Amino acid sequence: MTQKILLVEDDPRTAAYIVKGLVEEGMIVDHAATGRDGLFHATDGGYDAIVLDRMLPGMDGMAVLGALRAGGIHTPVLMLSALGAVDDRVAGLNAGSDDYLTKPFAFAELLARLRLMLRRGASGPQLETRLACGDLAMDLLSRKVKRGARAVDLQPREFRLLEYLLRHQGEVVTRTMLLEGVWDYHFDPGTNVIDVHISRLRRKIDDGEAAPLIHTVRGAGYRLSADGG
Amino acid sequence: MRIPPALRSASAGFFMLVFLVQLVSGAALLLYVRHIVAGELERSSRTLVAALRDDFVADYRQEGQAGMRRLIAAHLAEPRSREAVVLLDDPQGVRLAGNIEEWPATLSYAAGWRVLRLFRLGQDRAEMMGVSSIVLPGGEHLLVGHVIEGDLRVRRLTGEAALAALLLAVPLALLGAVVATRVVTVRVERVADTARRVGAGDLSIRVPIEAGAHDAFTALGSAINAMLERIEALVVELRVVTDSLAHDLRSPLTRLRATIERAARETDDEIALAALDRVAADAQALLAMLATALEISRAEAGIGRDRFVSVDLGRMARDLTELYGPLAEDGGMTVQAEGEAEAAVHRELLGQALGNLVDNAIKYGRPGGAIRLAVTCPPDGVHIAVEDDGPGIAPEHRAEALRRFGRLDPARGTGGAGLGLALAAAVARLHGGTLTLGDRAPGLSVTIALPR
Repeated sequence: MTQKILLVEDDPRTAAYIVKGLVEEGMIVDHAATGRDGLFHATDGGYDAIVLDRMLPGMDGMAVLGALRAGGIHTPVLMLSALGAVDDRVAGLNAGSDDYLTKPFAFAELLARLRLMLRRGASGPQLETRLACGDLAMDLLSRKVKRGARAVDLQPREFRLLEYLLRHQGEVVTRTMLLEGVWDYHFDPGTNVIDVHISRLRRKIDDGEAAPLIHTVRGAGYRLSADGG
Repeated sequence: MRIPPALRSASAGFFMLVFLVQLVSGAALLLYVRHIVAGELERSSRTLVAALRDDFVADYRQEGQAGMRRLIAAHLAEPRSREAVVLLDDPQGVRLAGNIEEWPATLSYAAGWRVLRLFRLGQDRAEMMGVSSIVLPGGEHLLVGHVIEGDLRVRRLTGEAALAALLLAVPLALLGAVVATRVVTVRVERVADTARRVGAGDLSIRVPIEAGAHDAFTALGSAINAMLERIEALVVELRVVTDSLAHDLRSPLTRLRATIERAARETDDEIALAALDRVAADAQALLAMLATALEISRAEAGIGRDRFVSVDLGRMARDLTELYGPLAEDGGMTVQAEGEAEAAVHRELLGQALGNLVDNAIKYGRPGGAIRLAVTCPPDGVHIAVEDDGPGIAPEHRAEALRRFGRLDPARGTGGAGLGLALAAAVARLHGGTLTLGDRAPGLSVTIALPR
């Protein structure tokens, strides 16, 4: 199914870059350059998700979001902002945006978060007891992990890291998404803290296996999948 | 009412001053009254004596020595002359008339006002009297005086009354000092309280000013409020500037990064890809630096204080240990957390600050060493210390280490823009706390002290 995205962004170059990238991914994108236009489009509707810049001329992003939510429109919103401070992120989330991304972002980060949001909107949270990818199986009740017949012994945090990857298998997850999803922190941990965690997990999951499951995506993050690169 | 120690000692000084001024002025007033009364009494006695003497001299001129002796006897016989003292001697010192037995040894024949203790004839005790003497034209000596026992008693009574009044003035002065001190302290404390709360970061607080009052305190309050208005305006302006700066710098950086990504997608040349990776990493480092610098500015301006939530700090320490543990182990180091505490903090900022400190400890600590994240609860608040056993920072370099973009060469010259410590210090201040650098000999301890 083709997904319809509304982009509200005043900077033409950033807008063109996002539109081009999303269209390349097979999405239909409408672009509005002002908050008022954006609100008009969003109310008219039928979008699967909205990418909303926070700083807009005239009516700013927060006001647009407030008007949408007040109008009973619950289309998922990914807010973009040059205000990177943690507080603004919290304020954005409190105001009813579903995710918040700080400029500048890698396009892969935007895409990964957008896809996550679209899937969440489509299926809703599921109560599962087993997660699997290829011959990797995770039992959430007994908290046991197996790769084929081999039992994999994981530390609690490695278990949660793998669970997060399994729940988003086939999708790119970025380092900041992992820090948020697994550790519940939103700051930039610096250096290569997450990479070290992934490389340990990779050693336990993929070492000695013919087909690796954890893949590094250049310039973006990681992807767990059974079908290779 | 709770008064801080500095103000309390100042209040004590003011209290003593008011008390002493009241007491001294009261005492001075009473002494002055006593002095006036005593002077008036003496003056009237002297006038009386002088008038009597002049009467006798005039008689002597008219009626001679005999007439005068008669007049003296008549005068002394009168009831209204009970207090009078008279002695008339001939030139050889033989007593001719009067109620004194003989000329006092200490008195010359022509003396002005003197106070003596003498016996009068017919009296069984010596009395205090003011006397004055004169040599008459015929060579006789005349002594005229007035008993001043009554005056002296009045003087004594005045003194006693003054003393009693002074004793009564002590509690009154105390009461006055208490009231004055309290009035002043309450009003100064109002200003001090405002200053404290503003110092703690709430720039919207103003000194309450009573309408209609026009004294030094309202002038002080108005001046401070005007200053606070200005500071608040500057801080708001600063925030607008930094936010615009963020916006203006980040947009071109977004495009830069997009271009790098696109270039990386469109080439398979390994050399080009490696170069693009390096450029992307530099752009990322630049962005991280910008983000941290902004975070520091905002924390310094007190932004985010409304987002404090109760956080289990022991758990935060363990989370960070766990997050940074693998990275430390790759360098052969260990990270351990200990202690429990709960406090209202900005979870994200404190987490980031502590994360930066642990990251620094991994970078600059002793390879193979131990890093400790200790949460302790001294009586005055909560301390979170990040300690390593590396070379530490020499005391003379500590101020530089805390400065934004200050970097210590050469020991700590590798990587980082030196923002980690500055951010941690700003976050500590955002919480009304402090950050101190200490020596573990060997090693560095960085302690964030949060107040209760």
